[in-house]
Amino acid sequence: MRVHAPPASPAHPQLPSRRATLRAAGAGALALGATGGLTACRSAVSVAAGEGGARRGGSLTVGIHVDFTPALLFTQSDQALQQRLIYNTLIRYDEKLRPQPELARSWQYADDGRSITLKLRDDVTFHDGRAFTADDVIFAVENLRKPERSAQLASTARAVTGFQKRGEHELVLKLAHPVANLFDLFEFMIITDRHTLDDALKGRRLNGTGPFRFDRWRPGTGVRLSRNDRYWIPDRPYLDSVELRVYSHPDALLSALRSGQAQLSYGVSGKHLAPLKAAPNFRIKRYDTGSGAAYVGASVGTKPSDDKSFRQAVAWAVDRERVVQQALGGYGLPSAAPWPRSSPAHTEADRIHYTHDPGKARALLKSSGVSTRTRVPLGHPSQPLHTAIAEIVQYDLEQAGIRTELQPHDSATFQKKLISGTMPALWVNLHGFAQVHPATLAVSAYPFNEAKNTSGFRSKAYTDAVRAAWQQRDADGPAAHARYQRVSDQLLEEAFIIDLAIQDQVEVAAARLRGATLNKFSYLSLDHAYLA
Amino acid sequence: MGRYLLKRIPSALVVLVIASVVVFGILRLVPGDAATALAGPDASEESVAAIRRQLGLDQALAVQYVHWIGDLLRGDLGPSYAVGGEVADLIGEGFGATVELTLGALLLTIAIGLALGVLGATSRRRSVRGVVQALTTGALAVPPFVTGVLLVLVLAVGFAVLPSGGRVGLFEAPDLELQYLLLPALCLALPSAAVVGRYLKDSLQQAFSEDYIRTATAAGVSRRRLLWRHALPNALPPVVTLIGMQTGQLLGGAVLVEAIFAWPGLGQLAETGLTARDYPVVQDLLLLLVTVFVLVQLLTDVVHAWLDPRIRWE
Repeated sequence: MRVHAPPASPAHPQLPSRRATLRAAGAGALALGATGGLTACRSAVSVAAGEGGARRGGSLTVGIHVDFTPALLFTQSDQALQQRLIYNTLIRYDEKLRPQPELARSWQYADDGRSITLKLRDDVTFHDGRAFTADDVIFAVENLRKPERSAQLASTARAVTGFQKRGEHELVLKLAHPVANLFDLFEFMIITDRHTLDDALKGRRLNGTGPFRFDRWRPGTGVRLSRNDRYWIPDRPYLDSVELRVYSHPDALLSALRSGQAQLSYGVSGKHLAPLKAAPNFRIKRYDTGSGAAYVGASVGTKPSDDKSFRQAVAWAVDRERVVQQALGGYGLPSAAPWPRSSPAHTEADRIHYTHDPGKARALLKSSGVSTRTRVPLGHPSQPLHTAIAEIVQYDLEQAGIRTELQPHDSATFQKKLISGTMPALWVNLHGFAQVHPATLAVSAYPFNEAKNTSGFRSKAYTDAVRAAWQQRDADGPAAHARYQRVSDQLLEEAFIIDLAIQDQVEVAAARLRGATLNKFSYLSLDHAYLA
Repeated sequence: MGRYLLKRIPSALVVLVIASVVVFGILRLVPGDAATALAGPDASEESVAAIRRQLGLDQALAVQYVHWIGDLLRGDLGPSYAVGGEVADLIGEGFGATVELTLGALLLTIAIGLALGVLGATSRRRSVRGVVQALTTGALAVPPFVTGVLLVLVLAVGFAVLPSGGRVGLFEAPDLELQYLLLPALCLALPSAAVVGRYLKDSLQQAFSEDYIRTATAAGVSRRRLLWRHALPNALPPVVTLIGMQTGQLLGGAVLVEAIFAWPGLGQLAETGLTARDYPVVQDLLLLLVTVFVLVQLLTDVVHAWLDPRIRWE
């Protein structure tokens, strides 16, 4: 009988033998080989980053923080990048809001401003091969008039009262009155295929005339597009495919950009931009046209904001510079008026009409005799940006002697209160539509609407000023500027919407991406974009 | 047995009916509604009313409920209001993504947990045991949202060997999908792997102190055979039970990890649906979860009754 020496400790077997070590190494090598084999097939990193493509070709991934919502196809929503990729619009504004031809080659206003004749391109086809005609423009205008489309420019579309076709590619639009923001409608309104509208609203098939064809939309993942080989601009687009990929978490979006998985995004907030600022492989571009403006709204039917002096005191109390620096990460413009610098209504005097002056705010409150003993409710959406702004406003108002109570609401609840006009005395939110024709703000953005707005504010002077600005043909002459000034004066004097800061639209792009641009409604254009 | 089953089915159906009423009612009690959420921020009341009419939300609640249940019984989950597409497709795709992530994490949990447990129990080097102890403590202490960000920074941003987030679909591009899956699955698996590893280590140490191990050692059984043939089979049963319990936690934890890695699973779908007040998506999703729970309960009762005849005669 062979006797084995007992091990030193039965609870701990000895170190592995040489053979075991070799076997383990072999197994490790196999595992590594398997991993290598897997990654040798293709790399998800390089595929996502868009291999190859100097000028023609290549694949671009755009990181988006909000998924495409087909039901909001005709509404200005948080996610509009796909609009100008799949579709075209009639015109496109240049930097100075001068309309440039797109599907409309040229236009001619009638002398009385009550009709406009559009000459349309005759070399355009939809992705399914059908030719684009004047009927498609008629359908687009009629579609936007429908209340269920919830299009912000519906009132402008409704000002078009009739159509007169002169052949397949010439169309006269009859207008109820001269419409100063008609070209806003032409830049906003995408030309969709009238035969597949239901499919488009369900996200199944989006048939347009744009540079990219719709391949598929996967909810939560994003939209995939491929080059339209029959695009009406010769030899464009350069890119073979575009993917709008959803990264709903800010860190995930940032990581996708930093890892090269996405090469372009407009969804990174100013506060999250710091890690990208110093990176040489990124380019950060600011669009001063504004992606929205932060404001404090006041319900004029509720005490104490029914008193104009109280509202003006609020306007003097808030430190707008701090809002820009702390809440917007420095990417914005402190402004008491809603207009960005690129707007024809912008004046420096209006921008600094109210500055941070708690003393003046206190004096106004004292002279008006408004009671500030009870806490004033201050509503806001519960998103981080809105909450940050609301907290700054709360602090600043406290310094001026106005004590407030924050009332956060989730976005759906907040929206319902906004539309139904059941907001508390004060609230914080963002508004859009100041980046285009000034009249559009007052007829299309609900907080400013002269006929009905959340604040419950109505006055003949404001209505007259808005209508005078809207029902004109001239959009940029001295007379037009005088009319815009009347609107600004009313807004600043009545202070039912107290503007704080205009948020920049920030583009974060890989340095090798060239030629990506946004229109005034944040529709992404990649007609001339390429990966260098 | 059949009679017992017949007795249990009506109560399960009652639970489902009550659950459907509660799910339907609770969603309507939440402030805000689908029409206002869908109308957008600058909508007029006219637009909201038109959308409400289009979606059938202007009908009496009882009528809406009957329509919903009727469609469900016909197997038609209907279209989503806000997310877009058909609810059946949305839930199917989200469910597939979440299950894929959970299964991936489960496999990693087992692999890492076994490796850590065996190494921690068998290594004679204090340093190795210390490293195992530190790793398991760290994996347990650091929450997944921190682990996730760190993994992305190192492997996706720093070395750029794996994608930082997203999904391509298992059947579309399996090779790419595995790479997309690796980071979220690892992030999800680490805490569970640490629990499994620690439990297995203790279980193995317990087994190694048993007399039969001492006897086998004295009889000249090799170290490898001692571990794989004797100690591990005896240490594993309680660990398997633990892994089963961890699976439920992995499924729950997947919701958070999905957000970090842009993984389009059920968690993201539920969040989007609830934010947009997409009643069909949220209602069907919740009722599906209740149905699964009721079926599991029913199955458990049946198995108990089969194992213990006294229950059948109660």
